[in-house]
Amino acid sequence: MKIVVIVRQTPDTEAKIKVASTGNSIDTEGIKWIVNPYDEFAIEEAIKIKENLKTGEVILISMGPARCVEALRTGLAMGADRAVHIKDESFAFTDPYASAKVIAAEIKNLGGFDLILTGKKMIDEETGQIGIQIAEELEIPHVAIVTKMQLSPDGKKVTCQREVEGGQVIVEVPLPALITCERGLNEPRYASLPGIMKAKKKEVKEVTPDKINVDALGITKESLGQAGARFKITKLEVPQVQRRLKIIKEAETQEAAHELVKLLREEAKVI
Amino acid sequence: MGNEIWIVADITIDGKVRKATFEALSEARRKLVPKLGGQICGVLLGSGVSGLAQELGKYGTEKVYVVDNETLKDYTPEGYAIALADLIKKHQPPIVITGNTSVGQDFFPRVAALVGAGLAMDAIDLDLTDDKRLKIKRYMYSAKSIATVEFLDHKPMMTTIRPNVFKPEEEPKNPEIVNESVNLKPEDIKIKTVEIKRKESARPELTEADRIVSGGRGMGSGDNFKLIFELADAIGAAAGASRAAVDAGFVPYAMQVGQTGKVVSPTLYIAVGISGSVQHFAGMGSSKVIVAINKDPDAPIFQKCDYGIVGDLFQIVPALTEEFKKLLAQQ
Ligand SMILES: Cc1cc2nc3c(=O)[nH]c(=O)nc-3n(C[C@H](O)[C@H](O)[C@H](O)COP(=O)(O)OP(=O)(O)OC[C@H]3O[C@@H](n4cnc5c(N)ncnc54)[C@H](O)[C@@H]3O)c2cc1C
Ligand SMILES: Nc1ncnc2c1ncn2[C@@H]1O[C@H](COP(=O)(O)O)[C@@H](O)[C@H]1O
Repeated sequence: MKIVVIVRQTPDTEAKIKVASTGNSIDTEGIKWIVNPYDEFAIEEAIKIKENLKTGEVILISMGPARCVEALRTGLAMGADRAVHIKDESFAFTDPYASAKVIAAEIKNLGGFDLILTGKKMIDEETGQIGIQIAEELEIPHVAIVTKMQLSPDGKKVTCQREVEGGQVIVEVPLPALITCERGLNEPRYASLPGIMKAKKKEVKEVTPDKINVDALGITKESLGQAGARFKITKLEVPQVQRRLKIIKEAETQEAAHELVKLLREEAKVI
Repeated sequence: MGNEIWIVADITIDGKVRKATFEALSEARRKLVPKLGGQICGVLLGSGVSGLAQELGKYGTEKVYVVDNETLKDYTPEGYAIALADLIKKHQPPIVITGNTSVGQDFFPRVAALVGAGLAMDAIDLDLTDDKRLKIKRYMYSAKSIATVEFLDHKPMMTTIRPNVFKPEEEPKNPEIVNESVNLKPEDIKIKTVEIKRKESARPELTEADRIVSGGRGMGSGDNFKLIFELADAIGAAAGASRAAVDAGFVPYAMQVGQTGKVVSPTLYIAVGISGSVQHFAGMGSSKVIVAINKDPDAPIFQKCDYGIVGDLFQIVPALTEEFKKLLAQQ
């Protein structure tokens, strides 16, 4: 079984977000980068499937600047076999659809696959569509926001549990398919020291823009980067919410509760 | 190119129109129609759904496109995407909107890819530029920033709206019904729905709730969550949890609020025994009023809440439930 995992590098969840002087992107100075948390579930699931089958290959793909290789190394240290890095600074601001096309094209270059796993969304730009659009580009079905998955004994289909409002839906999807991973699916392992040592020797293939046949993708060279995007971010702001910060000092519990309810009714007007 | 604004109805697993649809219809009518001209049109995809057109009419829908097709009986992203993409190609509406729900999040990306449209998810503000391009606001970086996104000249311009942000507002209309057939074959659908498990709880859905009461690690056990449920039921709220409470096995993952849980925006959010981590706030930071109950006066949540009580939750929560009941009984 050949499993492809699409891995995005994102700022650490604790990172303080500052707006860059351009006013429409973040200042990346001093930011610690991590593997997008949802993509960790995807990597873990892929490795687990391979371990259970005792055969197969897990290939990671990331698109982004030079730093993304660290995210790939993390995934390799967890146990993935090899990686592809679509590398170029000029890809910044590429719109989600063009990104999906480029990543899908690299997946085609792998010469066949059975399963593609991605995160539910990336926690930085939160575009919420790239994984699914890769499936559309490759003309395969997808199941999104999956919290449980089970490969059938013949390896031909996957049964997935999807979280929806008001319950869960269980669906069956034949392979090849793409699945986007939600928390709850598994507990990602930490890379072990031997894992980290081994990862250093694993292959990370670099793909640069000159090697991408954009014509074949039906997109223009300009559509990689802001110039060809379908929309642009004109402004990025750090939300300024003014909270009331009223701490109720009543010593007696019932009085404090009474005071809170009164404030919620009369001042905040939410009850 | 017409000037219709399309709102694709989101239908619950029980066959009702989801609230987010009414929110989208109302906000599009308030914010986009005055600048674009044109009319609000609803789109109903499914099997046996035409009866729902009147529901859309209540919120100012003037025309409803209905695709009633046996192949769309169970929701699948493939079926819905093919059907909507077909309709878009035929009628070329400039703007297509749905709710950012488990359904909208799932099939809109495929539609955008099929018709080559730009798609910006999870809008919290809808507007048009002077030259009639869609302009939305959305959170990025886990609620730590808000981006203004302007569409360029690609059409249609597609977006999903965050549930519970826009106010649903009725404006009764008697919509014209347009029955459409689409080029959809059963073999286009590869996904098979095996089972739908409904949650037995009568409490509102977290992402749609106007009020939420959440418990954290401070609850100490799953049994103690009964205090959270009692408080929630007293005020008709949904019940949520921090990741620490979920990781400790107190409550199921479906209740988790935060960066790797549900993103919610209720009017009132009561956090009980929750310290107020950045990751928890990524999920509930846009709540209108935040209340914290925590025994540690230095808990970070007291720096970012509207009201707080410092003290033992096991004393305060039952007292609060009682006070709420008293107040609401007076009404
Ligand atoms: C990648 C990543 C993703 C994450 N995603 C999420 C997420 O989606 N959601 C989320 O919530 N967290 C998330 N976290 C975890 C987050 O960092 C915190 O660990 C978590 O939010 C803490 O939960 P808590 O506030 O319940 O627990 P704690 O921080 O342990 O706080 C418990 C609080 O309860 C108070 N308390 C204890 N007993 C009582 C009592 N008797 N009466 C009153 N107060 C009491 C304590 O004073 C304390 O402030 C994530 C972390 C990472 C790294
Ligand atoms: N530049 C990228 N490189 C690799 N994977 C990506 C990239 N962008 C998005 N992805 C993948 O797509 C998933 C979903 O992104 P999105 O749904 O668009 O927020 C992420 O969790 C990643 O798995």
